Amino acid sequence: MSPKTTAKAETTQNETTQNGEVVVASKNAFLLHLVCGLGLAVAFWFAHNIYAVNLVSDPAQTLYLIWVIECPFVIIPYSLFRWNPEKCSFLKAVVRGFLGLPAGALLNTFGAIVLGAPVGSQYMKRTINWSLLMSLFTVVPAASVFGSSWKDWQRLFAYSKPTGVLDYMICIPAHGAAIGAWFGAWPMPLDWERPWQEWPICVTYGAVGGYLAGIVVSLGFTVMYGGRQQHVKGD
Amino acid sequence: MVGSSTGKWELIWPFFLILILHCVAILLYTRGFLLTRTELSSFSHCSDVSHSPCFPRHSSDLSNSSSSPSRNLSMTDRVEAGDRNGRCWTRPAVDRLVVIILDALRFDFVAPSTFFDENMPWMDKLQVLQKLASDEGSSARIFKAIADPPTTSLQRLKGLTTGGLPTFIDVGNSFGAPAIVEDNLINQLVQNGRRVLMMGDDTWLQLFPNHFEKSYPFPSFNVKDLHTVDNGCIEHLFPSLYRDDWDVLIAHFLGVDHAGHIFGVDSTPMIEKLEQYNAILEKVIEVLKNQSGPGGLHENTFLLVMGDHGQTLNGDHGGGAVEEVETSLFAMSLKEPPASVPSELDTSTCKLDPNGTKTCFSSIQQLDFAVTIAALLGVPFPFGSIGRVNPELYALSAGTWNQPTINATNWSNLEEWMQTYVNVLCINSWQVKRYIDVYSASSVIGFPSEDLLRVADIYAQAQDEWTNILNNSFLSGNEIQDKRFDTSLFTLRKLIDAYSEFLESVAELARSKWTEFDLKMMGLGLGIFVFSLFIHFVAIRRATKLHQVSFPSVGDSGISFRSIFALSVVAIRACSVLSNSYILAEGKVANFLLVTTVFLNLRYSVKKKKMLMEVVVFLLLISILRFTVEIGLSKNAVSTVFMKGIFGGQITLIFIAEIMPMLTLILLGYLLYKTINGNSCWRILSYLLITGTLISYVFVALHWTLESDMFAKQLVFKGIGRNFAPQVIYAIGFGLLILLVFAQAFMPKEDAMNYGGILVSKTVAMLSVWSSTIIILLGRQGPLVSLGSIIGGWCIIRLHNSELDQNHGNVGALTTNPLPVTQWNLLAVCLFFSSGHWCAFDGLRYGAAFIGFDEFILVRQAILLAIDTFGVSHILPIFGLPFLVSLQYPCFQSKQAKRILLVKLLQVFLIYGLITAMTTMFTIICVTIQRRHLMVWGLFAPKYVFDVIGLILTDVLICLASLYYFCQIEDDTTQDRVMKKCSSSEKGL
Repeated sequence: MSPKTTAKAETTQNETTQNGEVVVASKNAFLLHLVCGLGLAVAFWFAHNIYAVNLVSDPAQTLYLIWVIECPFVIIPYSLFRWNPEKCSFLKAVVRGFLGLPAGALLNTFGAIVLGAPVGSQYMKRTINWSLLMSLFTVVPAASVFGSSWKDWQRLFAYSKPTGVLDYMICIPAHGAAIGAWFGAWPMPLDWERPWQEWPICVTYGAVGGYLAGIVVSLGFTVMYGGRQQHVKGD
Repeated sequence: MVGSSTGKWELIWPFFLILILHCVAILLYTRGFLLTRTELSSFSHCSDVSHSPCFPRHSSDLSNSSSSPSRNLSMTDRVEAGDRNGRCWTRPAVDRLVVIILDALRFDFVAPSTFFDENMPWMDKLQVLQKLASDEGSSARIFKAIADPPTTSLQRLKGLTTGGLPTFIDVGNSFGAPAIVEDNLINQLVQNGRRVLMMGDDTWLQLFPNHFEKSYPFPSFNVKDLHTVDNGCIEHLFPSLYRDDWDVLIAHFLGVDHAGHIFGVDSTPMIEKLEQYNAILEKVIEVLKNQSGPGGLHENTFLLVMGDHGQTLNGDHGGGAVEEVETSLFAMSLKEPPASVPSELDTSTCKLDPNGTKTCFSSIQQLDFAVTIAALLGVPFPFGSIGRVNPELYALSAGTWNQPTINATNWSNLEEWMQTYVNVLCINSWQVKRYIDVYSASSVIGFPSEDLLRVADIYAQAQDEWTNILNNSFLSGNEIQDKRFDTSLFTLRKLIDAYSEFLESVAELARSKWTEFDLKMMGLGLGIFVFSLFIHFVAIRRATKLHQVSFPSVGDSGISFRSIFALSVVAIRACSVLSNSYILAEGKVANFLLVTTVFLNLRYSVKKKKMLMEVVVFLLLISILRFTVEIGLSKNAVSTVFMKGIFGGQITLIFIAEIMPMLTLILLGYLLYKTINGNSCWRILSYLLITGTLISYVFVALHWTLESDMFAKQLVFKGIGRNFAPQVIYAIGFGLLILLVFAQAFMPKEDAMNYGGILVSKTVAMLSVWSSTIIILLGRQGPLVSLGSIIGGWCIIRLHNSELDQNHGNVGALTTNPLPVTQWNLLAVCLFFSSGHWCAFDGLRYGAAFIGFDEFILVRQAILLAIDTFGVSHILPIFGLPFLVSLQYPCFQSKQAKRILLVKLLQVFLIYGLITAMTTMFTIICVTIQRRHLMVWGLFAPKYVFDVIGLILTDVLICLASLYYFCQIEDDTTQDRVMKKCSSSEKGL
């Protein structure tokens, strides 16, 4: 490790202590990710067994169920890890998350349409529900944790140089979901005539897959980084 | 001076080397890939049939022909002719034949609407044919004729007359139709003394220059003209029906084809055309029926009303889609009594319509047309035909029944007919077998031997059976007892099946294996292509080296993330052509990748907190492009309905559609004026340029005003403007181009201080010269597409500049970033698709070739079509590439800067060429892999042709652009010289 980065890490360390960040232990990070993952599983199970719909048979309804069920599983844990807990109440963080949801959905819709998602009245419901789900994966955690701090958003999504466990926990699954969705769009033009090639089914699969992969990677980083952090502390 | 001019060549020679390499590679590959089927120049003769085993001969005959197969043919001919009472191969069943060809006749134009799920407005318009077909008392029938792609008129006429399969390369010849050298139906008719009268489409005359007794050809290529050919046909058709100076009459109407091309199927002109045809056909049939009595002119006349191919709802044809290959054939025999098809061989599908009338239709391969008609007319089958005599069409002619009353239920009648048919099939099979044998022997590769063996085996079996039956009938003294009818019919049926199996397997074999690929040639071409890519890389390395020579302090910046990203985007796009689905969605793929690269820019902008506006504008532009791409692509399928839904009849919208292009045009003119005026260099020239281009724009606007329905009525001098305005625009464009070239050649030495500025004005000049021609060819979308490309280009340049700013003052250090070049290329691809083109021959906008001209001259129209097709995707982007470089360092004012600019320009051109070459190479690999794919001629081969032409055009344009833009670096290849020059220039300042 070059001396420059160490210096940087140290400054961040200082900053975080100044701002009073909750130090996220790897155990907590693990729990948070577990909750998010479980939320997804519960949502899928719910849609499949209680409402007897799945992505192929009724994409709009299923997506709706998934994002509604997943919503508390994401917003509540991330709000617990909010930045600056003294100045910002838990409730405020939750509200921030809920505000971030439609805003992020708007961004995701725009991105999807620019990339070539079909537009039309028959796709509208699906697109809206899909982008709400994507928003949960990408925007909402950051909104809950950091609120409207432009600097943090910049660091998370433009530099993609996370500086702490919390950054990893937000940044990597979000990127995973976006990249997964991007790859998920690949089979759409193929002439296999499978029902899952419809918009946004395979994109959703890709996004969920990418998100879960992101969680795993994030956990890996957390263990590494968290270990090092404790090591630094011990010093 | 000499030394300095070599300096220029030293820079740009790689372009020419690459051009030559690409040309050689593509030439070799194309020679291997698009081989034409060997056309045999053998012809069938009446006498040949004596070699066939199909005629029971007397023993003397047998010994005669077997002992001396190489005897004088004319001798045998006479002997045989005498022997068989003047008949040639088959007994003539019809005396006269009237063929009315309605170009691009879809199957649902003729077949009753009960056969289709939905009753569309263009159905049931040719009711006279439907009525006759459902009428019990007449021998008329509707067939679904299935054509082999490519479904262009020339190919189909060739296929219909030769009975062979078309080869892909002929599509390219579709403009300048060459005469048919193979044996064909028309040739056989003429050889056997039939007089052929032709009227209508002049393609026939190009195919058969000397065959017709009399012909009334009319020009076929002006698709905007719906009536000339048809009216000409009508004018000559009816008088001819009363004359007896012909045996075969061909009338080829083009109105439906042209109406489809211009207006689409679901349009009023199309329905009017169909109704007109209905009236004509009604009259024709009436005339024929009036004279069909005993001793009448048309006592034994056979009428065929047929299409040569179908068309999509959009009026396109050429490919292998179901709508394009399915056309209709209506056949009717005027001989009394009406014949019927033996139920055993009848394969028709019937349906009752609500009124209770029953209509049926059968299917026929167009391949079978030539041989069936030859059998009916009693002429030898064309030598190269691989079709089968279609039993239903053959039975339709009462002449084949040889009975005063025809009753298919009568056993003796039926058996005799079957006997005749088996005989015909025997000759047919023998002829096809002879053809494949001769073909395999004379052609280099021919058919695979195992397939040949299999087919020969089937033939031998069928032939064995035939001999058995012959022997039996000889044994029984040619007298068949009543009680043996059943068994005899059964054996005949078996024989027919055996022959049919043989003929079908031959047709299948031919279809699947006909295209002979010369794998060695293809491999060689591909190898050279890969080598040229290697040269490309070396050239880029060399350019980087040149760069380093001038700035030795700068190390190799290595491979950055951006380079890898750009490379992987290009690689993804290149690999995407390996699948037919991605080729179909190519515009979308390019769009997807372009947006992905822009997202990278977005991240950067967010990071630096600037140029966000540009990114958003660019994204919005791409999302608009995306919708136009989709509309362009779905034009392939069904979009006319959709478009009508959007613009349905609303006058304001139509008004906007009329006014928008004009406003955009004015905006473009204003932009141009600002740009050129703001530039100080080339005073007089820029004055000329701006005047010329603005006048062109005025003429474009004038042209559209005259063309549009809204304003046209008030203007009197319509006839002048229609062709005058475009011609003036072409002339101005060409004149300015010449002027630019001369200015480039004889300019006084350029002010080296401001090379960037000069480069900008040169580029603007070049683009403005091309713009007016491209805009008028693209039609009303032209100004919008141009504006889109300008905005897109501007955004790419701005975004790229912003990324350079961080290293400001050290600009020379960076090797050229491939990402903006990749974006430039992807944008060009998107523009190609969004301007309504796609990589298929039906994606060519033929109408564009006739803007400004009425008559067809191959070279001129081809050039116009090429400018229309590649204008916005190749010509403009390549000539605009210097913007990427010159707008980066507008502030640099030194000799060094000029050198940097030139080297950068070199790199940019090389990278752009490399991107195009990579994509093309993958297309080539793709067609190599997929050469046996079902869609190879429908999809991959057109894609290959488009890509290859695009690549060669790119190379040529890059070479021309390099000649135009590059100037010599003053021999300052060494560092001290640079230093010296710099110091001297500083002194001068």
